[in-house]
Amino acid sequence: MKLQGYDIPDDLLYTKEHEWAREVGPSVRVGITDYAAKTLNDVVYVAPSKVSDKVVQFKSMGTVESIKAVSELYSPLSGTVTKVNTELDLHPELVNKSPYTEGWLVEVKATNFTSDRERLLDARRYAAHLDALLKK
Amino acid sequence: MLKTTQFHRYHSEHAKLTEFAGYEMPLWYTTTTDEHLAVRNSSGIFDVSHMGRFMVRGEPAATFLERLVPTQVQKQPIGKAFYTLLLSDQAGIIDDLVILRLKEIEFMLVVNAANAGTDMDHIKSCGPPEGVKIEDFTGSSAMVAVQGPKAQQALQPFTDLNLGQLKKFRCSETYVMHQRSIISRTGYTGEDGFEVIILGASNGEPGKAIEFWDRLVTISKPCGLGARDSLRLEAGLSLHGMDIDQQTNPLQADLAWVLSPDKSGYVGYKAVSDLRAKPPDAVKRGVIVEQGIPRHDFDVLSGTDPVGKVTSGTFSPILHKGIALCRLKPEGTEPGASVRVAIRGSAQEAQTVKPPFYDERLYGWKRQGNGN
Repeated sequence: MKLQGYDIPDDLLYTKEHEWAREVGPSVRVGITDYAAKTLNDVVYVAPSKVSDKVVQFKSMGTVESIKAVSELYSPLSGTVTKVNTELDLHPELVNKSPYTEGWLVEVKATNFTSDRERLLDARRYAAHLDALLKK
Repeated sequence: MLKTTQFHRYHSEHAKLTEFAGYEMPLWYTTTTDEHLAVRNSSGIFDVSHMGRFMVRGEPAATFLERLVPTQVQKQPIGKAFYTLLLSDQAGIIDDLVILRLKEIEFMLVVNAANAGTDMDHIKSCGPPEGVKIEDFTGSSAMVAVQGPKAQQALQPFTDLNLGQLKKFRCSETYVMHQRSIISRTGYTGEDGFEVIILGASNGEPGKAIEFWDRLVTISKPCGLGARDSLRLEAGLSLHGMDIDQQTNPLQADLAWVLSPDKSGYVGYKAVSDLRAKPPDAVKRGVIVEQGIPRHDFDVLSGTDPVGKVTSGTFSPILHKGIALCRLKPEGTEPGASVRVAIRGSAQEAQTVKPPFYDERLYGWKRQGNGN
């Protein structure tokens, strides 16, 4: 779906802090939402957790930076980072261009995604959350 | 309730807005990178109407200003635009500003928006003599900066003033779209460019100001405060409130050149001469970081020893690296020295440089092929 020009794919799960999660085989791929990318405006540097780092649901897992601002990343799930999108080292602008595809940040091997996912929002609920935020 | 400028309607329709110094201002229209590069490679325009503009005039205006700032005033020719400082008695930097000498007895002071109130109080507290009139022009005029190697081409169609004849750091009273204006060849980007003050252009009665902006945006890229900050930082220009403040003295900020050596009797002079008697305890340095983006207040290390702090940092769209202005201990941090910047818990390799950060043969107003 789309909300005020922001893409919100129906098949993803979201945090209130504007990260998304998608199951990819045994791992969960993580990125930031179109809204987050557009708010940052032009992502110039991405520093997520590194491979084999442990991450905890809703805790910091690195930063995404625009020229002007630093934005904290919050992990949508608990687990271990298995992959980092190294394309972003040279092309951080992919986060702006395709936040849900080429602009993904990391893949995480979940500790217990079945319970973690209960605490995430589906597209409809994320859209409602964003809508409320935009009305503020 | 935030204040707005004469061009607010355009900003609200085209830009992401932000609060700055009590004004609602454009942060970016497209992206900061895009706007930044437009100014380095072509031209861009900035609404800087929020900046404070004070007209100081009257027979004793020059002698009064002479007491107010550490730079020679009476020796400046008519039509000169010069950078200087307002100092406290302790030689702290109350603000940095540009003074335009419009006439023998008429000066326009252009100050930082965030400090306009403080500056006015300070100026009045210095006891302007009978015969000096200080008038706040901020609300009754608009101000637009046109910056970049193609700034002259962009601005020329709007004025009869031959911009090719206006040298760097010069100003002239003229007309822009037949409206009384002041144009100076100054700016805050490192590039060639102009700052245009359109007189008699308040929010309620903007005159030709809005039409000027609306036509300018069709030939030059509108730029927000994001690009304004990254451009000034890449050029190595300090920002008051970040790199310099009342706790900083001019010697720590690489601004000794502003202090006329043959001058005394200005506010802060005593403290300045005391400071000059001994080597500075801290100096301004540029730093280029290998990985990551340095930000305000990050620690700078030499080996494992702290040697100072980042005063402002950003990502340089020209270098594709993190850059910062820092206040460091002088010893061991000379340009070319290896240092490290603590970026969120990890010490990143960095090198000190003398700003600007770009190659001056390729960028900035001194670049090759620029006749100025």
